[in-house]
Amino acid sequence: MDDTDAMRKGEYKTPGGKLVVVNLQVEDGVVVKAEVSGDFFLEPAEALERIRDALVGASADASEEQLSARVRDALTDDVVMLGFSPEAVATAARRALA
Amino acid sequence: MTPADRDAKEASAQASAPTPKPLPAQLLERWRDYRWELVHEAPQAPFLHMALDEVLLERVAAGHRPPTLRIWEWNAGAIVLGRFQSVRNEVDEAAVKRHGLLITRRITGGGAMFVVPGNVITYSVYVPEALVKGMSFADSYAFLDAWVVEALQGLGVNAVYKPLNDLSSDQGKIGGAAQTRKLGAVLHHVTMAYDHNTSAMLEVLRIGKEKLSDKGTVSADKRVTPLRQQTQLSRERVTQAFIDTFRDRHGLSSGSLESTEVAEAERRVEQKFGTKAWVHLLP
Repeated sequence: MDDTDAMRKGEYKTPGGKLVVVNLQVEDGVVVKAEVSGDFFLEPAEALERIRDALVGASADASEEQLSARVRDALTDDVVMLGFSPEAVATAARRALA
Repeated sequence: MTPADRDAKEASAQASAPTPKPLPAQLLERWRDYRWELVHEAPQAPFLHMALDEVLLERVAAGHRPPTLRIWEWNAGAIVLGRFQSVRNEVDEAAVKRHGLLITRRITGGGAMFVVPGNVITYSVYVPEALVKGMSFADSYAFLDAWVVEALQGLGVNAVYKPLNDLSSDQGKIGGAAQTRKLGAVLHHVTMAYDHNTSAMLEVLRIGKEKLSDKGTVSADKRVTPLRQQTQLSRERVTQAFIDTFRDRHGLSSGSLESTEVAEAERRVEQKFGTKAWVHLLP
């Protein structure tokens, strides 16, 4: 079943960087499912799952600072984000929650 | 235009082309630490190309293959999604079906490409990570394409690299690069627009307002200026100029794919690159 319609979408393009798209499913004021995609670069590629999982469990009222801290805390020092950042993900997420 | 006219235009274009900014000598010389092999096969299928990139990257990483420049030839058109792109966000699947197009996903990040054979020039370089040691990821993009910028300038195209990964000229974007690293090796590949794409591209690819906002453009087809508008040379002639410049700068000997490499790539098409699970990894 495609529950796309139940998901809220937010996008943000980092100036001079890339687009990040966040789709969030919210139930009872909490993010229960997240998708993160875009034309950015990320090493290692598997780190995308950590970025995605970092958004799950966030309150729908979370601030951008709280959301970017969630993403940042989920990533180890070896992870390289090119063209986007935890802040960019948070901005897109906040737009999805707005 | 007669061949004589073409030569004259090329000569005058070369005379007025800007001098490439020289790289620090030591960095440039790093390329010559390796014996480069050229692979330029007859046209192959889009899924196979995706798989070959992964296979050759691993083989170079393991030391089973020398650092390689692979020029791609496409036997069919395709949409090539970046590793992290979502299918529904990038393509109109109904339009894809209507046009009978293939959707593929590559192992590198970056944006979606619409490939029509004959309209693009695509290559991959597979290099040991030592070649880009000490460079930031961002700097490595420009470094790994410096030879192409020089080749284009030699053809009279006022080419320049725009961070992060845009191959551009004063007439607009020519193409884009993408990169991934694995086990001590780097896959860096580029697709350039040689000729205009059909209107099918505008029906099939979604180009959202958010993405265009930073570039200040209003229509998708104005974002790229194909090489054919910037040089009168044929696609084959341009490709040969790339090969010749790479050889002159770095050294290059002719090679080919091993049958084991092709067999492994075909296996991966069946098990990964050609599967819905991979193509729709991000649905």
